[in-house]
Amino acid sequence: MTFLALSPLEAALLALLTSGAIIALYFLKLRHRRVVISSSILWKRVLDERQSHSLWEKLRTIISVAIAVTIALLLGLALARPEVESLTGKNERIVLVLDTSPTMNTLTRDGKTRWQHALESAKGLLNSGGPTTEFRIIDTSGVTASAFTTDRNEVRRLIEQMSPKTADPQFPRVDDRDSQVYFVSDGVTIHTTPSFVRRVSVFESANNVGITAFEVRSIPSMPLSYEAYLELQNFGRPAEVGIVLSGTGGQRINKTVRLGTEEIYKDVFDLSQFEGGGIRAMIQANDDALALDDIAFAYLPVKRKTRTLLVTHSNRFLETLLKLDNYVELAVTDPANYRESPNIDAYIFDRFAPASAPARPSLVIGTPNAPWLKPSTGEVKKPEIATWSESHPVMQFVSVHDVTIERASRIEAGNLTVIAASKQTPLIVASEKPKWVMLTFDLESSDFPFHVGFPVFIENVLAWFSREQLALKRSPGIVDVPLANAQIRTIDGKVISSEQQLGATVFATSEPGLYAATQGDQRVHVAVNLANPTFSDVNRSVFKTDKSAATQHYWLRRELWFYMLTAAAALIAIEWLTYHRRITL
Amino acid sequence: MDWKAYLRLNRLILKLFEEEEDLPIYLFVDSSQSMNYGEPSKLDYARRVAAALCYIGLANLDRVNVISFADGLKSELPPQRGKGRIFKIFRFLSEISASGDTDAKSSFKTYCTETRRRGLAVVVSDFFDSHGFAGALDILRHFRHDIFVIHIASHEEIDPGLRGELLLVDAENNTTREITITPSLLTAYKAEFWKYCEAVESYCGKYQLGYVRTTTDFPFEELILKVFRQGRFLK
Repeated sequence: MTFLALSPLEAALLALLTSGAIIALYFLKLRHRRVVISSSILWKRVLDERQSHSLWEKLRTIISVAIAVTIALLLGLALARPEVESLTGKNERIVLVLDTSPTMNTLTRDGKTRWQHALESAKGLLNSGGPTTEFRIIDTSGVTASAFTTDRNEVRRLIEQMSPKTADPQFPRVDDRDSQVYFVSDGVTIHTTPSFVRRVSVFESANNVGITAFEVRSIPSMPLSYEAYLELQNFGRPAEVGIVLSGTGGQRINKTVRLGTEEIYKDVFDLSQFEGGGIRAMIQANDDALALDDIAFAYLPVKRKTRTLLVTHSNRFLETLLKLDNYVELAVTDPANYRESPNIDAYIFDRFAPASAPARPSLVIGTPNAPWLKPSTGEVKKPEIATWSESHPVMQFVSVHDVTIERASRIEAGNLTVIAASKQTPLIVASEKPKWVMLTFDLESSDFPFHVGFPVFIENVLAWFSREQLALKRSPGIVDVPLANAQIRTIDGKVISSEQQLGATVFATSEPGLYAATQGDQRVHVAVNLANPTFSDVNRSVFKTDKSAATQHYWLRRELWFYMLTAAAALIAIEWLTYHRRITL
Repeated sequence: MDWKAYLRLNRLILKLFEEEEDLPIYLFVDSSQSMNYGEPSKLDYARRVAAALCYIGLANLDRVNVISFADGLKSELPPQRGKGRIFKIFRFLSEISASGDTDAKSSFKTYCTETRRRGLAVVVSDFFDSHGFAGALDILRHFRHDIFVIHIASHEEIDPGLRGELLLVDAENNTTREITITPSLLTAYKAEFWKYCEAVESYCGKYQLGYVRTTTDFPFEELILKVFRQGRFLK
């Protein structure tokens, strides 16, 4: 027997003191009530007869003391939390790591998912060990990580709340110094585990055809034209796969393909007939075990001409370019006649800027003096573009590395976004609020208008100003949207809860879907798709249950102190009953 | 035979004589401390019984002796005769007080060894005698007294309402005993009490002694009638 709360010496002392105190108290003289009787002859006879003939009478005192001492010892030693290994097992710590990767949603032959089997295994492990065994539950998504506890119900509750979540599972960092670590997984996304981990496999091979890539992309040669790229892969037996692409306007593309084992199918679909809005790709195959990768979403921007007002003294290049753009409805005026109009979607100010920023976004060419713009602090001769941000929307498909600039204005970027810059000064800057883009050089002192990227740049700028963007691509799990304080809605318009983190809005989703994040007049679409061959390949596992994962079950389900207290309570009740019936002393 | 009548009449004539002599009644009243128990006390009840029996005795022109005893003879009223002596007896009885242990045997022995006429010995007692009741009654039997036993018990003795941890104090000798009264112990005590009463009754039955048992809450008049019904007190 060992003691968890006290050392053996302390426990022995406690037992000794408790017994001593009880025995001492027991033999303290009880003050008896004095009663005068006529004669004690009969009482004497009765008592003498009882004492001489009853074994109980002889043992009554000893038994009464023994009961009292037993009660005190049970209570006292319960404080020391005794542990008998053969009854309750030893005090150990078990860490249960549950794989919450999407492949755990794969169906098995019995109709359950691998996740459900994992839950059963985890609960089986929870039933093992002794009452002092401490459990900790962790998942591979980083969402759940409990502290060690002996409260199995609490751990069970946590397990019930867990579900396959993230598209990026990682084996958590666990300390194995005084713990046994069990990893319940199908072994598809996490193949290797530390050597001390005891693996419990829930893997069972399954057929699966999955969408491994799906996106709507613009065609650079055709402004505002988009196509859908779809990629499938078969990870099971050869199967016939039905493909359905559907849009919000009821447009639909159906196709059936036959895919052999491990065969990849790639296709591009023309979306010219589709209205703007959500696009859904769905596939259907027999015996498909994983539903998560059978559906994918994308967003097709709504096509609409941008009403643009060019304010310039004269700029033939720009005017011609904008007139040729099918998606620009152009109006031209000179600075003297400039009036802000509610019917304009975007302004282009060529070497001119109004005194106040217009309500609509604007492209400012040159560095005109205006209070809402950064003032020029000088001039830079022949600045060379040293850096530019390829990730910014206005620079998509635009290369400026060979653009030559004769002179540019020197400005301090401050809190503006620098899109392109020389070593001396920013050359293209952007402001989010109010929304505007400024070139610190004018087009006549640069060969930028002669570059093939210039029309694309102008198109990108106008698209960034007012046209809808393609959806951001995210994976199931924790989804971040680079828009602060945004409200997140599903494609059906249902608001879902979100949190704010470092200027971004974050929400959680475990399934593919199309979401819209809105903040004021800003809107960003987010397409959450599994679309990952790593997850669709549900059979890529070499995981087997380790023999060392077998656990021991013990008869007693609680610590000994619980039974000791129960026994003490029962003895107290018996003692109370017998004392009041004068059976015990 | 009246021989003179025979000679004269030639017939045998038997002459019959009846001698009337007064019956000595010895009334032994237990005045040990144990008699001072109960409500009303057994001694009070004994006094009343003794007074009634004395009056009846006096009315019947018997010689009535009243003796108070405990661990020895405490007091004795010389033989009284005639109704007019009843007040003297009342006075004597009222002066009896309870004290001392019970030793009926030595008391009776002391009393009977003096020259006494045979008579009716009435013993009024609770018979809580640590020396035993049989020895005392044996003495009276030895001296060929006609014996009548009136056994008085208090209802507190028959059904003591005791419970819990008690220190029992013997009223006679002040000996104490710590005791835990349990229901089973109480039952055992009651059984022992009745066993003791039956032992006294059995003794009396065995030697054809008159025996009446009463409790202090039993109506006094009914007890006297009960005594008469036994037919031993009045000849």
